[in-house]
Amino acid sequence: MKKRRAIRYGVVFFLLSAAFFILMILNINTGNVGIPVPRIVEILSGGDEGSSAYSIVRMIRLPRLLMAAILGGAISVSGFLLQTFFRNPIAGPFVLGISSGAKFAVALNMIFLLRVYRSVSSWNMIAAAFLGALITTGFILLVSRRIKDSAGLLVSGIMVGYICSAATDFLLTFAEDSDIVNLRGWSLGSFSGMSWDNVSVAASIVTLITVLSFLLSKPIDALQLGENYAKSMGVNVRFFRILLILLSSILSATVTAFAGPISFVGIAVPFLTKSMLKVSKAMVVIPATFLCGAVFCMGCDLIARCAFAPAELNISTVTSIFGAPIVIVMLIRRKM
Amino acid sequence: MENIQKKELIKLNDLSVGYSGKVLIGDIELSIAEGEIVTLIGPNGAGKSTILKTIARQLPPIKGAVYIDGRELSKLSYRELSETVSILLTERIDPELMTVRDVVESGRYPYTGHMGMLQKHDDEVVEEALALCRIEVLENRYFRELSDGQKQRVMLARTIAQEPKLMVLDEPTSYMDIRYKLELLSLLKKLRDLRKMTIILSLHEFELAKVISDRIICVKDRDIIKVGSPGEILNRKVLCELYDISEENLRILLHSMESVV
Repeated sequence: MKKRRAIRYGVVFFLLSAAFFILMILNINTGNVGIPVPRIVEILSGGDEGSSAYSIVRMIRLPRLLMAAILGGAISVSGFLLQTFFRNPIAGPFVLGISSGAKFAVALNMIFLLRVYRSVSSWNMIAAAFLGALITTGFILLVSRRIKDSAGLLVSGIMVGYICSAATDFLLTFAEDSDIVNLRGWSLGSFSGMSWDNVSVAASIVTLITVLSFLLSKPIDALQLGENYAKSMGVNVRFFRILLILLSSILSATVTAFAGPISFVGIAVPFLTKSMLKVSKAMVVIPATFLCGAVFCMGCDLIARCAFAPAELNISTVTSIFGAPIVIVMLIRRKM
Repeated sequence: MENIQKKELIKLNDLSVGYSGKVLIGDIELSIAEGEIVTLIGPNGAGKSTILKTIARQLPPIKGAVYIDGRELSKLSYRELSETVSILLTERIDPELMTVRDVVESGRYPYTGHMGMLQKHDDEVVEEALALCRIEVLENRYFRELSDGQKQRVMLARTIAQEPKLMVLDEPTSYMDIRYKLELLSLLKKLRDLRKMTIILSLHEFELAKVISDRIICVKDRDIIKVGSPGEILNRKVLCELYDISEENLRILLHSMESVV
């Protein structure tokens, strides 16, 4: 069994990495201006400086692609942590309204700060998103004390999501024109317009939090047997659950601050990953989920950019088309 | 056996147990020796589980304290607690994609390193626990796919793999058929005799309690009404009082058991 599992892990990680590299090439390669693979290699290794292909790859496609990978991985790990926390596979930052809460806080923050300072830093956006995420999570936690069944929890999460989205729309309606241009696309979810500064900030936060989550694999596994058994194994359950919710909120806040809400990835990707691995050990699932989330979002972003070019789809539109059916399959399989 | 002076392992000192500040059973005084098997019997809702959960620190005592090996239970670190006490709860678990072996391995939690990797010794302990509970053949099955009786044996193996000084088992025989119930009893005796394990459990079957226990505690109406050896406790009068059944009904029950044999 151990050997069989190890082989399965190997195959899954190999396939995901292969998909990662293929999508990376495809993402750089395709667009309004097609760039052939040899040129890509040349540009990435520093050649061809000054050409328009060089700036397209270096300044537009590469940061966008990296951002899709980093944030896609982050939102998936965030979903996995939430599922561990609620011990419910349909928990995720989007359906529980956490993404929308973060979105509202960011919109509020942006409109206010833009009026006063005319500029907003990445860190400021993340802090606002984190605050919004925490407030929504706190609210969901309060509800989850009253409503024990997962359907009720989910419905209340979706309602919170709608309320926050409505409030955001309300804000946007009254915002000044220049703000709206920035905010419209973002509030529906998009990986476009990412700078290298954004990439480095997101990469450092996401790496830190994902590594921390990975180091918590052992208590995460223990929580699978329920709080009481986890307690009897020596887990400080109360402290640990707070830690889980903080880590998960930071991840979804980072994603929302940069790319807006991304729907269903947080549920669909951990489910897909676990179905492929046939195991729930966090030590394997967390890195695989990150990789799978990166691949999923890179793929979805490619479709968002290219399917109806020159028009661009919102990233959430594409992730919903692929993510929501996966969630439905998951629900059907779970009932059986 | 009685003449050997035994070391005291558990001491309940003026203990009151209950939920959220409300006392369910108060003023419990009890001393349990190392290697003793103590059984709680009594009707549903009498407070057996509450006592067991308090002894395993799943619930904080409302008053008084539990001492284990001379130390107050609430003062132990999480790690020390998990190395000292393991518990089998009545709540059902539903772990996703965990095999039987994964579940039993989780019993090794206190002994593994930061990332929870099992060493050779841990594997041996796990395999021994699987063998003791006769679930080696189920090893690679997913826990969710098992029958309730099989699940119960897996959870028992998990409790054993934790290698505690004290096992607290809340209704370990539930969902088990008669064969496994009997096997469970001999298993518990084996654990006591070979590993000097102390076991506190609750049972619905008083006839099984009689065979296995060194001491029996009768819990009724949120009170401990009797403590003593099986010989002292398990007579018709006490049973009738404990379960609120008439002499006549008890006679029918006992007779029906005999008539089968």
